[in-house]
Amino acid sequence: MALIKDQQLSLSHAATPHIRFADWLDDDLVISDAVLTNGADDLACLLANANKLSIIAIEFETFADGRGFSMARMLRRDGYQGEIRAVGDVAMDRIEFMTRVGFNAFELREDQDALQALAKLGEVSVHFQPSADGKGPAYMR
Amino acid sequence: MYAYNQFDQTLVDQRVDQYRDQTRRYLAGEIPEDEFRVLRLMNGLYIQRLAPMLRVAIPYGLMKSDQLRTLAQISRTYDKGYGHFTTRQNMQFNWPTLESVPDILADLAKVQMHAIQTSGACIRNTTTDPFAGVSADEIEDTRPWCEMIRQWSTLHPEFAYLPRKFKIAVSGSSSDRAASQVHDIGLHLYHNEQGEMGFEVLVGGGLGRTPVIGKTVRKFLEPQELLSYLDAVLRVYNLNGRRDNKYKARIKILVNAVGIDAFAEMVEAEWQFTKGKDLRLPTAEIERVKGFFKPPNYLSVENSQSSLKAEMAAHPQFAKWYKQNTRDHKQPGYRIVVVALKNQLQAPGDVSHQQMDGIAALADQFSFAELRSTHDQNLVLADVAQRDLLSLWLKLTDLGMARANIGTLTDMINCPGLDFCSLANAETLILSRQINETFDDMDYQYELGEIQLKISGCINACGHHHVGHIGILGVEKGGKQVYQFTLGGSASNDASLGKTLGRSIDQDQVVVVIGQILDVYVQQRKTDETFLQTVRRIGFAPFKERVYGTHQRSAA
Repeated sequence: MALIKDQQLSLSHAATPHIRFADWLDDDLVISDAVLTNGADDLACLLANANKLSIIAIEFETFADGRGFSMARMLRRDGYQGEIRAVGDVAMDRIEFMTRVGFNAFELREDQDALQALAKLGEVSVHFQPSADGKGPAYMR
Repeated sequence: MYAYNQFDQTLVDQRVDQYRDQTRRYLAGEIPEDEFRVLRLMNGLYIQRLAPMLRVAIPYGLMKSDQLRTLAQISRTYDKGYGHFTTRQNMQFNWPTLESVPDILADLAKVQMHAIQTSGACIRNTTTDPFAGVSADEIEDTRPWCEMIRQWSTLHPEFAYLPRKFKIAVSGSSSDRAASQVHDIGLHLYHNEQGEMGFEVLVGGGLGRTPVIGKTVRKFLEPQELLSYLDAVLRVYNLNGRRDNKYKARIKILVNAVGIDAFAEMVEAEWQFTKGKDLRLPTAEIERVKGFFKPPNYLSVENSQSSLKAEMAAHPQFAKWYKQNTRDHKQPGYRIVVVALKNQLQAPGDVSHQQMDGIAALADQFSFAELRSTHDQNLVLADVAQRDLLSLWLKLTDLGMARANIGTLTDMINCPGLDFCSLANAETLILSRQINETFDDMDYQYELGEIQLKISGCINACGHHHVGHIGILGVEKGGKQVYQFTLGGSASNDASLGKTLGRSIDQDQVVVVIGQILDVYVQQRKTDETFLQTVRRIGFAPFKERVYGTHQRSAA
């Protein structure tokens, strides 16, 4: 499956984690630093444990579920440096916004063309809001 | 008013290109229907019963005359020669083709306009008092704050897929003309006891299926922290608002579920992370934006009351129009003019391309080339010198836009209803036609005084029927269009939700029932008592008796 990571087509990368965050939390026997989470998980708990994780895959069961955007934003705000991967119903028309809130990896939906998707990054090149890229709002530049 | 810089222009131009590509891919079958639906909605494009409908943003209702001329041109080129002003101060075109929308957006971008976020589960056009900056009772000009909210909310990456739509209104006068208590967020600019300017923040108001009056979530917000606080509210909502049922997804449901105190605590906790950081508005930025809203170069003209009186004596209709359709202005020698989009021939809020061109020319001539749209679907020329009023009135009369009915029964709010809207259950435009035909005596309307009649064609309440002094809601029952009446609603400072009068009324009886309701008022009112005051004092029983008692007798 095509993966875009750090604004490039990624040819070698870790598989998308299949261990759910809740299971990872509950089961001491699970040894992994990569989890799958979504908007239904306990976000405060995820934030508290993020420093133990190198990949946090946020799942979009449907593209309309915007909770993942705030989750990524809050993880980056807390200083999380690892990979935040968008998985599930992920299409080229959203990866620009996802990048801006802190996602840096995208497992695209099967019908998506990765090269076409890459070209969508930066389609709108100016932003009014501060975002996870560290750039301030328009009036601070 | 605000003028785009290179930054704003680049954003809007690139957004047009982005949407053009999305349309192309959709037409090529590369974007699934349900996904394109969301993408087009974020650009204001609905698919209606007969054709697509494009909703163009008019940020806080403010526009230049050349922007209105472009809207006229668009209506000629891509539509059927007219547009419709909505209760969010925007303009809708009812007949564009889906394929032409990118071209329309490109035309709009040339005059610093767009359709971004006029629909969809995102932050919509911020609305405000149509008399902002000029009203005699103003505390603070809301427009700079609306502009700062516009910028912050435009293409916000985190809040584009909210549980549901999100509407913000800002009021800055002692009299609330922005319906701020029935918005997801209502902001009131005021001075606290220390004389500092700030916002009272209301949250969780709204109409629709579950009408609610907003509750105060923060009594005083330092203006520099406006965006950081909004950011916190939106994040709490984005994470916690219900997504399992779209009828329970608005923020009002969340606020009611957790309670306003607990909700306020959630916001405060989140705000600790954002307060005082990069969303804190620097004084220089506030001053920069305020600089766009300086008063125009008013002439220092004396109010010549004697010449105005002479003009009124010579033109009795002008005198009525002056009394009904103009308002006090901050600046001596000037008046605020409300241009009625409520004549007998057009649907409320509708405006033809000739009227748009005509009023744009009048704005150029008489009101510093600017105009405003109002949430009750009229237009405003905000800065008209008193000595020009008669000339303006004569020209408005030629355009069919001088009906002196502002604030009266026929100045009604009306959603497009079943004639256009795919959500509607019942026709509404036929009602406004019937009402105009039945209550065509303006002297009777003046005698009734202020009455807000608001009509919605379905439970989504685009016609704001819950906050009408008289509200009418169209519903379908057994294949028949019938109408529920509510009485006693208000969207003003004394905001309240109307209560249902009784069982639904047949379409051909609606004007009869309105007449009966008005009869009760006329019979029961005390001196100087408005319709709303009378309803609140005497209660529903006399109205029920008149409406349903009579019906039962005539049916027997």
